[in-house]
Amino acid sequence: MTEETHNAPVEPNAVEEPLDLVRLSLDERIYVKLRGDRELRGKLHAYDGHLNMVLGDVEETITVVEINEETYEEVIRTVKRTSEMLFVRGDGVILVSPPVRTGT
Amino acid sequence: MLFYSFFKTLIGQQVTVELKNDLAITGILTSVDQFLNIKLDEIRAVDDAKYPHMMAVKNCFIRGSVVRYVQLPASAVDTALLQDAARREAQQPTTGGAH
Amino acid sequence: MQQPPQQERSPTEFLSNVIGRPVVVKLNSGVDYRGILSCLDGYMNIALEQTEEWVNGQLKNKYGDAFIRGNNVLYISADKTN
Repeated sequence: MTEETHNAPVEPNAVEEPLDLVRLSLDERIYVKLRGDRELRGKLHAYDGHLNMVLGDVEETITVVEINEETYEEVIRTVKRTSEMLFVRGDGVILVSPPVRTGT
Repeated sequence: MLFYSFFKTLIGQQVTVELKNDLAITGILTSVDQFLNIKLDEIRAVDDAKYPHMMAVKNCFIRGSVVRYVQLPASAVDTALLQDAARREAQQPTTGGAH
Repeated sequence: MQQPPQQERSPTEFLSNVIGRPVVVKLNSGVDYRGILSCLDGYMNIALEQTEEWVNGQLKNKYGDAFIRGNNVLYISADKTN
């Protein structure tokens, strides 16, 4: 943490540090990849430096790999759940992707 | 501090806390601290058939670090206010040092 | 000390040299992200552009922009194949 970072000129739309990418996604639908083969899609209402987040109108996709007992084949199953408002603890976050935007 | 303040506004609301071990507990949020440790009252396990031992428990303290999600009532959340607070928090130097 | 003049000497120098260039980011899970490195911070949080997600040598996903939480990062490597 150094002083020059906060004295930098305020450019609200510039991506100067990685978290700016998340800040610019506020009020937008984002994709979040979490530990445990979980994915979320929802509207970003809040986040902090830990990547704790509050998402609205969330769809969660959980990918489960099961082994068929007889054939030993891998069966990949996805479970979907929805939630109107969800707090996500940041320590489970792997990747956040903003909506597709032209010219970053 | 953003989410600590946010959770304080939700005290008295019914929430569902999903833990990293998949146990999900519904209850009334009674307390939260800076680590996002949470106290719940009038609790029940969402899948009570799978967790029968939880039937005897009336209230609990959940260590913040074991929480995966907290499901919230959308009606209790002012999303415009929350987004403004998040933008304000982003101005403050709580993030990692720049290279 | 005999060092090639073009070569960076410290991790920080390496990182400032690869900003704006194609990189491979490997996560602890073994997943690779290939893309243009926009920026990174002291936690090794990373912003990538034109990101491709590679799992077991297979392209699994593409993202325009991607934020990667630093704790998952095993290494950042300059991508010479691009």
